[in-house]
Amino acid sequence: MRHLALSLFLAAGALPAAAETPKVLLDAYAAEARAENPAFAGASAERGRAFFTKVQGKEWSCASCHTSAPSAGGKHAVTGKAIAPLAPAANPERFASAYKAEKWFRRNCNDVLGRECTAREKGDVLAWLLAVRQEAP
Amino acid sequence: MNAVTATPASHEAAPATVKVWDILVRVFHWSFAACFAGAWLTAESERWRDVHVLLGYTMLGLVAFRLLWGLVGPRHARFTSFVRGPAAIARYLRSLLSGRPEHHLGHNPAGAVAIVLLLASALAAIASGWAVYEDIGGHWLEETHEFLAGAMLAVVGVHLAGVAVASWLHRENLVAAMLTGRKKSPDRQP
Repeated sequence: MRHLALSLFLAAGALPAAAETPKVLLDAYAAEARAENPAFAGASAERGRAFFTKVQGKEWSCASCHTSAPSAGGKHAVTGKAIAPLAPAANPERFASAYKAEKWFRRNCNDVLGRECTAREKGDVLAWLLAVRQEAP
Repeated sequence: MNAVTATPASHEAAPATVKVWDILVRVFHWSFAACFAGAWLTAESERWRDVHVLLGYTMLGLVAFRLLWGLVGPRHARFTSFVRGPAAIARYLRSLLSGRPEHHLGHNPAGAVAIVLLLASALAAIASGWAVYEDIGGHWLEETHEFLAGAMLAVVGVHLAGVAVASWLHRENLVAAMLTGRKKSPDRQP
């Protein structure tokens, strides 16, 4: 059992490097979440949407900058600068690099939650962002 | 040549210390250090993004001032009085290892390298930071900015180690000298 968890964990680390697409990254987060909790039943776009728009511990939500319509562009809550859309359907650069995704999850989760996000939270958010089709904001 | 003192050398009445760093060199030094520390601490968070950018622009002003002061400032502030070639740097470093360190009243040749590297990497870090903030260029510019800031931190680390070693070898508190502007009179050097 321990070996299975370990191999899943290693797979989670190795997968994004192999072929970096949002879907591969999502699978890696799901594998990591399952390794942390065997009862994990898969990433949920609905949980991701709720997490993304909920104001967390530090008075910001993800949507404070990215808005609750991730196929549209956002606006920085401090500087007012424009932010490109987060949903891969609207912006193919998003989640095309595991390194970049991890870097910005780390930075932004610390701003919103005061801690890093779990693999389950990252997977849920990504599942929702992938479910969002390009639509009028 | 570097040990020439501004005060008349009189062995009977030699003052214990002489003024080396003028007030603007000292204000620059500590402001620059504070801005870099502040920019480093605010780098990861979007909450502090405006402070981070403000610190970067402040550093740009500080570096511009220091470059000008290095041309027209008092003797020990001027680049021509302390920037040396590789031979002089190597000779100074060898003298540290030999245990009989060359004495330089102003910046020693190794300290001069730190100054040049810090000013140059600060300019590059500020330029790349500005480009990131203005959304010129993409992800690679972010990485460049972070690399340059990391390089600056590495030079700061070497600079701090150098100050500690030189303070110990010369039996002189160089941190205090950068606060008071005064160093041991060359006449009192062993």
